[in-house]
Amino acid sequence: MKRILAIVPAFNEGGNIKRTLEEIKGAPFLMDVVVVDDGSSDDTRREALASEASVVSLPFNLGIGAAVQTGLLYAQHYSYDAAVRVDGDGQHDIHYLEDLLRPVLNLEADLVIGSRFISPFLGYRSSLIRRVGIHFFANLISGIIHSRITDPTSGFQAFSRRAIKVFAQSYPYDFPEPESIVVAQRLGLRVREVPVQMRKRLAGRTSIRYLVTFYYMVKVTFAILIDMMKKNKGGDSSER
Amino acid sequence: MSVKILSSLLALVLLAFIVELVRREKLTFKYAAGWLLVSCGGLLLSFFDGILFSLSRFLGFELLSNFIFFAMIGVFVFLSLLLTIMLCQQNIRNDRMAQKIGLLENRLEKIERGQGRKE
Repeated sequence: MKRILAIVPAFNEGGNIKRTLEEIKGAPFLMDVVVVDDGSSDDTRREALASEASVVSLPFNLGIGAAVQTGLLYAQHYSYDAAVRVDGDGQHDIHYLEDLLRPVLNLEADLVIGSRFISPFLGYRSSLIRRVGIHFFANLISGIIHSRITDPTSGFQAFSRRAIKVFAQSYPYDFPEPESIVVAQRLGLRVREVPVQMRKRLAGRTSIRYLVTFYYMVKVTFAILIDMMKKNKGGDSSER
Repeated sequence: MSVKILSSLLALVLLAFIVELVRREKLTFKYAAGWLLVSCGGLLLSFFDGILFSLSRFLGFELLSNFIFFAMIGVFVFLSLLLTIMLCQQNIRNDRMAQKIGLLENRLEKIERGQGRKE
């Protein structure tokens, strides 16, 4: 029996977290849940504890990358076989967890990304500027790693034991998702995409607003290009 | 001549200030070392300004002041880069520590809850 951990990063998601956790509990297979409360100032922690989840509270806001990494450190410490990231805002549809985890549990992939843009196209509506950004990164990353990636900004990701180990050691900051794919490829992890559907956020608002979209694109592009210059291709950075 | 006095005075004040800061333990020697070097260098150059003149002429500056400004700007760019590196390092350590605290707190709560059940 493989042990699976659901990592739920949450920053001021008091209004959503309970429903997200209930949905995870209702999943067709057994999973432990850790909520990483990223320095929330609302009742995220209390709501999560009330739902009987294990809660790791960061003393102040570290951002999504470090929050996910905290979950991966937790997974590494309790030696889970697989971990899946489910955002606390209810955006990630639990019905696709099984599809996401299957390649990891069958030892076919190390990093599985839930893509909104793989056929069968399940329909995802987004603003033009965001679609342009996603398209840009999809092409950039696909070119770099020589395999087709359609949704590099998706945070709906599953990690194998090896990916947990690698990313617990270092996971990109700020806007980590596109970078994590390039890092995974560089460190010899097998990356795969599966089709998923995502929902509009239940409450609150997304952390990526129009004003920062430009900064996002410049930052991530630079980060990816610089990452390409790093050494240890195919090596294991966690072996020190 | 008065410029010479003024600049050596400035360097002297800087030197005294840094020594005092280290004495009061507001500055550790590790970080003060560079500043001590700078103030001593300044003092030396104020006394023997001939070195500055010949160096600036050698490098092709028309005016000594231009050379000094150029050198200072260069030093400050380098210094601020150094400070950014240190800031970054501190930031990473800070984040790592916060993660560790969160994880340890979580484990501690688990242990405490386990004991509560026994009692």
